Amino acid sequence: MNLYLYIFRRLLYVIPVLFGVCLVIFVLFNLVAPDPAYTLLGKHATIQQINELHHELGMDKPFIVQYLDTVKTAFTFDFGYSWASKQNIWDMIKAGAGPSLSITGPLYILSSLLSISLALLVAYFRGKFIDKFVLVLSIVGLSIPSLAIILFGQWFFAYKLGWFEISGYENGFPNFIPYVILPIILYVFIFFGGDTRFYRAVILDEAYQDYVRTARSKGLSEYKVMFKHVLKNSMIPILTNLIIQIPSLILGLLLAETFFSIPGLGAMVVKAINNSDFPVIKAMTILSAFGFILFNVLTDVLYTVVDPRMKLK
Amino acid sequence: MSYDKILEVKDLVVEFKTDRGIVKAVNGVNFDVFKGKTIGIVGESGSGKSVTALAIMGLIPNPPGRIASGQILFNGKSLVNMEASEMRKIRGNKIAMIFQEPMTSLNPVFTIGNQIEEVIELHQPHLSNIERQAKAVDMLRLVGIPSPEKRVNEYPHQLSGGMRQRVMIAIALSCEPDVLIADEPTTALDVTIQAQILELMKKLQKELGMGIILITHDLGVVAETCDSVSVMYCGQIVESADVETLFNHPTHPYTKGLMDSIPSFDSTSGHKKERLQTIEGMVPSLFNLPNGCNFQDRCSKVTESCRGMKGDPVLKPSKGEGHFVACFNPLS
Amino acid sequence: MSTEVKQSKSLLHSALLKVISEKLSLIALIIVGIYFLVAILTSAGILASDWNKEVGASYMPPSSSIIFGTDIFGRSVFQKVVKATETAVAIGIVVSCISILIGTTMGMIAGYFGGFIDELIVWFYTTFSSIPSIMLLVAIAFILGKGTMTVFLSLGVTSWVGLCRIVRAEVMKHKEREYVHAANAIGATHSRKLIKHILPNISHLLIINFTQTFDAAVKSEVILSFLGLGVVGRPSWGTMIDDSKLELSRGVWWQLAAATLAMFVIVLAFNILGDALRDALDPKLKGK
Repeated sequence: MNLYLYIFRRLLYVIPVLFGVCLVIFVLFNLVAPDPAYTLLGKHATIQQINELHHELGMDKPFIVQYLDTVKTAFTFDFGYSWASKQNIWDMIKAGAGPSLSITGPLYILSSLLSISLALLVAYFRGKFIDKFVLVLSIVGLSIPSLAIILFGQWFFAYKLGWFEISGYENGFPNFIPYVILPIILYVFIFFGGDTRFYRAVILDEAYQDYVRTARSKGLSEYKVMFKHVLKNSMIPILTNLIIQIPSLILGLLLAETFFSIPGLGAMVVKAINNSDFPVIKAMTILSAFGFILFNVLTDVLYTVVDPRMKLK
Repeated sequence: MSYDKILEVKDLVVEFKTDRGIVKAVNGVNFDVFKGKTIGIVGESGSGKSVTALAIMGLIPNPPGRIASGQILFNGKSLVNMEASEMRKIRGNKIAMIFQEPMTSLNPVFTIGNQIEEVIELHQPHLSNIERQAKAVDMLRLVGIPSPEKRVNEYPHQLSGGMRQRVMIAIALSCEPDVLIADEPTTALDVTIQAQILELMKKLQKELGMGIILITHDLGVVAETCDSVSVMYCGQIVESADVETLFNHPTHPYTKGLMDSIPSFDSTSGHKKERLQTIEGMVPSLFNLPNGCNFQDRCSKVTESCRGMKGDPVLKPSKGEGHFVACFNPLS
Repeated sequence: MSTEVKQSKSLLHSALLKVISEKLSLIALIIVGIYFLVAILTSAGILASDWNKEVGASYMPPSSSIIFGTDIFGRSVFQKVVKATETAVAIGIVVSCISILIGTTMGMIAGYFGGFIDELIVWFYTTFSSIPSIMLLVAIAFILGKGTMTVFLSLGVTSWVGLCRIVRAEVMKHKEREYVHAANAIGATHSRKLIKHILPNISHLLIINFTQTFDAAVKSEVILSFLGLGVVGRPSWGTMIDDSKLELSRGVWWQLAAATLAMFVIVLAFNILGDALRDALDPKLKGK
C-alpha cells in the first residue's frame, strides 16, 4: 500500500475524533457551563436583557444546531469575539503566537538537544557514576513544582541579581531576546528531569536487546554500538515524543508568560480563565486539540518511514 | 595439520556479583579447540555453557561479571587481559559467535546486507564498496539463501527464523574465523530446519577449516556433529571424551542420566525400547551448593563418601585415551 | 486456574520485600508513611489544629520560636505547611482512586469485550486525550465552581487515560490465557472472570499507576491554585506557593521555601518509591 493512501486512511480515522472533541467542548461549554449572562451582564440584568444576550450568543437555538455551530467554528477557525476585550479571537491568536513561539521555539530545541544528548551520554556510561548522578538530578528536578522554580528564578536572577529583565516584552527579532532568556533557562530546567529520564529509559531499553550483543560480537566499538545500532532503534519513541510536543509549543507557557508579562497565548489563556472568557478558552481548546490530533497522524506516518517493520495497514 | 590446537581454555573461573553475593557461574573449566574439529559443550540451562562462550568472546557484562582467574589462549596469545581495542580485532574476525535467538539477534532496522557488510568493513577495510557488497551476496549464497541478490536488501522481519539463523552464520563466517562459537544455534528452530542448519555448519567447517564450539543441551545434536564433548554441571566440566567413547562408555552418572533421557529407537524393529528415564530433582542453586559433589542429590550412585568429601571431585583420567571424569564413584 | 492469581500475589509480596530491602526505597517508604501519618493526625485535629491562629506580627521572618516565620495574617507558616499535608495527601489519594476506578473499569471492559464496545471506548479516550489536560481541567473547574471537590474531580477525571490504555492492552493478553479459558469451562460469568480472575493479575499496574498519579496530582494542585481554581478554606501547598508571588519582592521567601520543601520531599519520595515498585513488579516497564 502506498504512503499517500495510508496518510489518507489515517486522516479519515481522525474525523470521528475531531467530532468527538467538538462534542466534549460543546457539552462542557454549552450544556453544563454556568449561564454566561451573569458574567457578561452583571447581577442586575433584566430578563429581557438576558434573553437578548442568549439570542445574540445563539444559546436559544436547538442543541443540535449549537453543536454543529461548534463543529463549524472548528473547521473555519471563525472563533468569534472575546467577551472580555471584544476583539476578534483569531486576530488575538495571531498576535499572541509570535511571542509564545519566541520562547517555546528556542526552548524546545535547547531542551530536546540537552536531554537527548545527556540520555545518550548516561546510557553509554550506564551504571557508572555519571549515570547515577544525572538520574538523581533529573528525579530531583522533577520533584520541584514548576511554579516555585519560576517564582524563585525570577526573584533571584532578575530581581536580586539583576542579570535579566524582570518582565516585559518587545516585538520583533532581536528586540525580544533579553526578555525571553530567563524564562527559557528556567523552563529548560523544568523539562530537563522528565525528558532525560524518558529518553534514558528508551535508550537503555534498546541497549539490552539481543541485537546489541550481536553487534558487539562483530567486534564493533562500544561507541559504534551505541550510536549506530542502539540510537537508530531508539529513534522511534524519541521522534514520537519530540513531535507530539510541537502543538503544545503554540499553546505557550501559562506560567512563564504570566509572570514575565509576555503577551503570548499562554498569558491570553490565563487572562481568559480569570475573566471567564469562554469563547477564548473554547478557541484555544479546539486549536490545541486539533494540533495534537494532526501531529499524532504525522508521527504515525513517520513511523512507517523510520521503522521497516511497520507495515502500512 | 588437522590437530592444530587453536584455542585453549585453562582453569577458567567467571564470577558474577549479585544481590545475594558472588556467584561462580564458571568454576575451573578446561578444554581445547582444534582446527577443523567440533567440540560440544553439553549441559542443562544454568550450567555455565553460555557464560563460558561469552568469556571467550570477551563479552561478559562487567559489572556484574568478570573473569576471576584462568586463561584463554588463542593461538598461544592470552585473551583474558587483552586491550579492548585488540580484542575487538579478534572478535567477529578470528573468533565469531552465533546466538540462540535468531528472531531477535539481528538489528531490525538495518538490511541484512548492511549487517553482513558491517563486519566485513570493520575487519577487511581494504575492500572497496563494490567488493564488499559482492562479498555479502556471496556469503548469503554460501549459507544457502535463495536469490541472495534480492535478499540482501531485505530486513530481518521479512525472513523466517531459519533464514535469519543462516544470516547470522553468514555474518559470523564472513571474515573466515578460526573459531566459531555456536550457542544453541538450533534450539529455537523447527526440527527440520535444525538439521539443515547443522548440516550447513558441518559443510562450511569442511570448506573453511575452522574449529567449532557447539553449545547445546541436546545430546542428539552432539552425536551428529561433534568430535569431542565436555559435559558441564554447575559451572564445572564433569566428563569429557571423544564422542564415541562418551556415548559408548558414559562414566559419570550425570552423563548417563542425560543419555537415558533421550528417546531412542530400536534400529531393527523401529519400536521404542524402554521407558524414558529422567534425572530426578533440580539443578542446585549456585548460591547454595552442597558439600562434596554437586550432583549428589540427583545421583543414583551416590554414597556417603560423595557427600562427606571436602571440595568438588576433580577431573581424572578414565578408561580410554582422552577420557576424563570428575566423580567420586564413577560408573564402571 | 488459580495458579496465576497466586503467582501475582507472591509477586506483590516479593516486590514489597524487595522495596523494603533496598535502603533508598525503604527511606522513601518511611517518608511517605510519615506524611500519611501527619495527614491523619491533622485531620483528627491532633496536629496543627490552630493553624488559623495569629502567633505574631505579619511576615515575621523565621526564628527559633517560629521556625518558618509568619504569613501576612501573622499565622505560623509551619503550622500551615503541616495542615496542608492533609490537603495534599487527600488530593493524592482521592485523585488516584478516581483515576484508577475510571481507567481500570473502562480499560477492562474495552479489553475484555472487544468489538464495538472496545472501539467506542478507544474513541472516547482518544478524544479525551486529544484535548490538552490543562484546558479540560479549567473547563471542568469552571463548571463545578471553586472548591476542594473541584480539585478532586477535575484532576481525577483528567488523569485516567494512560492507565486505561495499559489495562486494556493487558486484559486483551490475559483473556487468551489458559486460566481464563479454564474459568470459562466451569461456566464463570463475565464479571466473575473479570474481577476474580483477571483483575488480580493486573493489580501491579494499578499500584504503579497509583504512585504516578499521586505525584502528578499533588503537583497539578499548584497550577490549579495559580489559576485561582484551587482549594479554599484550608491551607494547601499550592495556594502557599501561589501567595508567595506577591511576597517575594518584599523579601518574604519563607512561605515559598517551606511549601516547596514540604512538597518536594513527598514528591521525591513517591518518585523513588514508584521507580522501585515498578522495577520490582514489572521489569518490562523499567524506567518508562
